[in-house]
Amino acid sequence: MAQTNSQILPSKEATLFRHLVQNYETKQYKKGIKGADQILRKHPNHGDTQAMKALILSNQGKTDEAFELCRLALKNAMKSHVCWHVYGLLYRGQKNYEEAIKAYRFALRLDPESVQIQRDLALLQVHMRDYQGYVQSRRQMLQAKPGLRQNWTALAIGLHLSGDLAGAEDVLNKFEETLNQAPSKSDMEHAEAVLYKNSIIAESGDVARALEHLDTISKTALDRLAIMELRAKYVLNLDRKEEAQKAYRALLARNPEKREYYDGLEKALGLNRASKADHAKLRDMYHSYAEENQRADAPRRIPLDFEEGDNFKQLAEKYLRRMFTKGVPSAFANLKQLYSDASKKETIRSLVEDLAKEEPQANGTTGGSHKTNGHHPTVTWQLSINYFLAQHYDYYLSRDLKKAQDFIEKTISLNPSKTDYTFNMTRARIQKHLGNIGAASKEMNAAREMDLKDRYINTKCAKYQLRNNEHQAAIETMGMFTRKEAVGGPLGDLLDMQCVWFVTEDGESYFREGNLSLALKRFRSVYEMFETWTEDQFDFHTFSLRKGMVRAYVDMIRWEDDLRKHPFFTRAALSAIRIYCLLHDLPSRATDGQLNSSSELSEADKKKAAKKARKEAEKAEAERKAAAAKKPQSKADDGAEAKKEDTDPLGLELVKTQKPLEEAMKFLTPLLDLSPKNIDVQFSGFEVYIRRKNYLPALKCLLAASSIDSEHPKCHEMGIRFQHALSKVQEALPSQIKDVIESTYLSKVPKTPLAEQNEAFLARHQSSARHIQAAVRTRQALRAEESTVQSAQKLVESLQLDSITLADAEEGSRLLDEIQADAHVKSDYAEAANKRWPDAAFGVKA
Amino acid sequence: MDIRLIRSSDIPHVQQTNITNLPENYFCKYYMYHALSWPQLSYVAVDVSRPQKTPYDAPKIVGYVLAKMEEDPSDGVQHGHITSLSVMRTHRRLGLAEKLMRQSQRAMYETYGAVYVSLHVRVSNVAALALYRDTLGFKVGGTEANYYADGEDAFSMRMDLDYLRDEADEADDTDGEVQDEGEGEGSAGKNGEGEAVAGKEKMRKVKVGRQLGVGELVERNEAAA
Ligand SMILES: CC(C)(COP(=O)(O)OP(=O)(O)OC[C@H]1O[C@@H](n2cnc3c(N)ncnc32)[C@H](O)[C@@H]1OP(=O)(O)O)[C@@H](O)C(=O)NCCC(=O)NCCS
Repeated sequence: MAQTNSQILPSKEATLFRHLVQNYETKQYKKGIKGADQILRKHPNHGDTQAMKALILSNQGKTDEAFELCRLALKNAMKSHVCWHVYGLLYRGQKNYEEAIKAYRFALRLDPESVQIQRDLALLQVHMRDYQGYVQSRRQMLQAKPGLRQNWTALAIGLHLSGDLAGAEDVLNKFEETLNQAPSKSDMEHAEAVLYKNSIIAESGDVARALEHLDTISKTALDRLAIMELRAKYVLNLDRKEEAQKAYRALLARNPEKREYYDGLEKALGLNRASKADHAKLRDMYHSYAEENQRADAPRRIPLDFEEGDNFKQLAEKYLRRMFTKGVPSAFANLKQLYSDASKKETIRSLVEDLAKEEPQANGTTGGSHKTNGHHPTVTWQLSINYFLAQHYDYYLSRDLKKAQDFIEKTISLNPSKTDYTFNMTRARIQKHLGNIGAASKEMNAAREMDLKDRYINTKCAKYQLRNNEHQAAIETMGMFTRKEAVGGPLGDLLDMQCVWFVTEDGESYFREGNLSLALKRFRSVYEMFETWTEDQFDFHTFSLRKGMVRAYVDMIRWEDDLRKHPFFTRAALSAIRIYCLLHDLPSRATDGQLNSSSELSEADKKKAAKKARKEAEKAEAERKAAAAKKPQSKADDGAEAKKEDTDPLGLELVKTQKPLEEAMKFLTPLLDLSPKNIDVQFSGFEVYIRRKNYLPALKCLLAASSIDSEHPKCHEMGIRFQHALSKVQEALPSQIKDVIESTYLSKVPKTPLAEQNEAFLARHQSSARHIQAAVRTRQALRAEESTVQSAQKLVESLQLDSITLADAEEGSRLLDEIQADAHVKSDYAEAANKRWPDAAFGVKA
Repeated sequence: MDIRLIRSSDIPHVQQTNITNLPENYFCKYYMYHALSWPQLSYVAVDVSRPQKTPYDAPKIVGYVLAKMEEDPSDGVQHGHITSLSVMRTHRRLGLAEKLMRQSQRAMYETYGAVYVSLHVRVSNVAALALYRDTLGFKVGGTEANYYADGEDAFSMRMDLDYLRDEADEADDTDGEVQDEGEGEGSAGKNGEGEAVAGKEKMRKVKVGRQLGVGELVERNEAAA
């Protein structure tokens, strides 16, 4: 260790220092601190000791103290690589990777030979996707230790990810050349590395060479499936049809349930689904696979996608008979995709209704060897058909809820099992579609009680309870399957176990109730889960190199790169952004986190709500404490990072944010980056940017939205709102921005007054509830308060439209609140809506 | 329903399927640990008939098998282990679990030379027992008292994979593309070598039914100042 004179310890203390390092490595923190203090008593300015102590402190969670001490250490020993390295580690612990990288670089300059610092630096570089830097670090590490295969592989990965495919291949080749003898056949690392090289060659686009290379490794490779799949892909790509056919047939012999293989085989055979002339051949092909694989679904189901007319009818009948004979509950789920074709939908309906009149026949099945679900064949048959019809009439493309109810009641009356809740689940679902959320929740709970040991129905039940805003019941339901010892009770466990769906549904439920703080709290939790998932990759940068499973590692890196395009993220993020916008619009909401705090809620109501929230909070807190008390104390100071206590379980601090729009940006940025083709994302971007007075980005969202669906009613609303906002600030805008807006947008829209345009839009779209709602919102934005009465009337009238859906009607009801319509109009609305949806609970406030 | 190998991007939905169906749950990282250590062994069943809602819909996972190789087999014999298996209620009795299991077993044999595969199952789990014993051919090796967090006992079951060698033999006669049998056999049992080269890591035992992250085991090899 290169240290300046004043920093050199006498031998006794030097020994103590070595122990200190060991103590740290073995996580004996208490001992370590003692040792450090012992050295510091004699050498109070010894930087390295201070740094090591700081490192231990930070691992004990004492971050501030650690940073302070480490800065002191640096003052004492500016030239110590240990101090800089520790400084970097502290920053890394804080996830401040930029600063950490800087500190590591300093450390490395002071001790260029240090393997450890080099490795820590490289780790952060790949984590931060600084591939240039990573390649550089990896080159150095390779030079230091060229004997280690990992070092070659790592450099190749760096080059590959930075886009230098040739360089990556070259590095892998060079290593292979250094091998004196062929690696053993069971050398997994080697087997995987050559496959990795093959994937790089293929990625470079030279398929012929990839195939050539594949042929040289296929005898020794251990991943048979990969070899077979790659070969099939390559020969097909090279138009070597004969071989491709053989390759895909070999794959199908292993796994007849993969669409990709059938697609490949079709192409190899030169068959095209779009061409009617090929249908006979396609039919034969699928038929023979169906015959060969009695238990396979794909070869039976796929032809239904392309067959039409009588052929479709024949095959569909065969398919349905097979399903009904066996009693497969997912028959409808397997077929509903076909419903987008109206004639197929109709054919299926009439087929099933005909089959309902039949008794099951022995020859109804294709091979005859199916076991049924254990009931008498007639029962199975009738049960399956009635169940199918119930789902058919419940599906939105073929909905007739009255019929659905009749069929599900018939199904349930036929069900001989006391524990098979499948049909009762659908009964609950139909209630939901009728708008009777309360009954749906009750029905689902009844289904749950039929089989208390089954977590699936338990989950469903909790979901329906949340839809009905029964938070306490839902958490109790979930609690039947969460770990009893979990800190924070069932919710604590669900947060811990990253149960995204529950946290999201719970948040949406609070949002519906106007409890912005708890809603936001939940959406932030989802945000944090994604943070954790990003963080999770960290260890694999090292681990995967050791394991040698490089292709899987690269796949993981690419997934992590766009992790937040996952719909789980989008859903929570869109809601969070809406809440931040609400907080911005009316900062008073931030004081108690209630949506309606300053609107028409009566004092008494407000008090009641506040009391309820307080009760819930107290209960949660008590539960948490009880659970914490039950939890065995973690073994003292050794490593176990104490889980940080949540100081804001209700989110009351969250909603007090002074900068709601900046917080919203944290959610919005990944959405716009990764899910730009989602129209709701663009709308959400518009809402944030227009409030931030970022007119160009707002316009960009508006234009992106209309390029996705220019007919979407919100495009109209936002277009007008944009122009309206602009008309007020136009003078103040820099001329460059004005020019861009003029040329890309304003020059292309009508010049008539905005209110007029909006009225014209309304007149054009009298028959669509969503458009009427958009026009009403637009009026509101134009501050046409005087039109509230008219607007409200429009909304009431929209309930008579043929095309209006229950969801539209609910949206209309929310909109009435938003425009603060009179109470009597609201009750008119509720009455009319209830007439149309007698089971839905309009106007009933929870 | 497609049956295919797991990908990293499947993990959120696999995790959701698991927590929907079973009380033994794991962090995302534990799924990553499987997918990145033995990427050939875990499979998913995907509902490919779902109408798309947005261009970003993630594949809808309706079933999965999460599998691994035993790192330090106490009997010294290479073998695989089923960490978790479940299928959504709406898609049960379609043969999905069976197909997932068969694909995984084959990969254990082909890639890692596994001699057998083991697993644990609740003694009360009639469906799973029927699947393992009657459909797939597993045998009960013994009972482990108190194996699950709620106190239930587990049967430990296992199944020999030599039937795959016979299958490979047959395939060999008919199809030249398929693996040459001698190699499959040759690699059986001595894959340990490959592991040693890759750097063997000491793993903390992770029991089914007790969730545990992998942070510990990976972190240990990381730098200390
Ligand atoms: C166990 C489980 C994975 C089976 O999934 P599945 O996809 O429905 O099973 P398969 O359709 O592949 O069944 C194959 C065979 O197993 C047997 N089997 C499956 N479920 C059964 C049941 N409920 N009762 C009796 N036998 C059953 C049958 O022999 C079946 O063949 P068949 O349908 O031709 O009669 C599923 O029930 C499940 O996810 N349960 C909850 C989670 C769980 O218990 N996992 C296992 C933990 S070890």
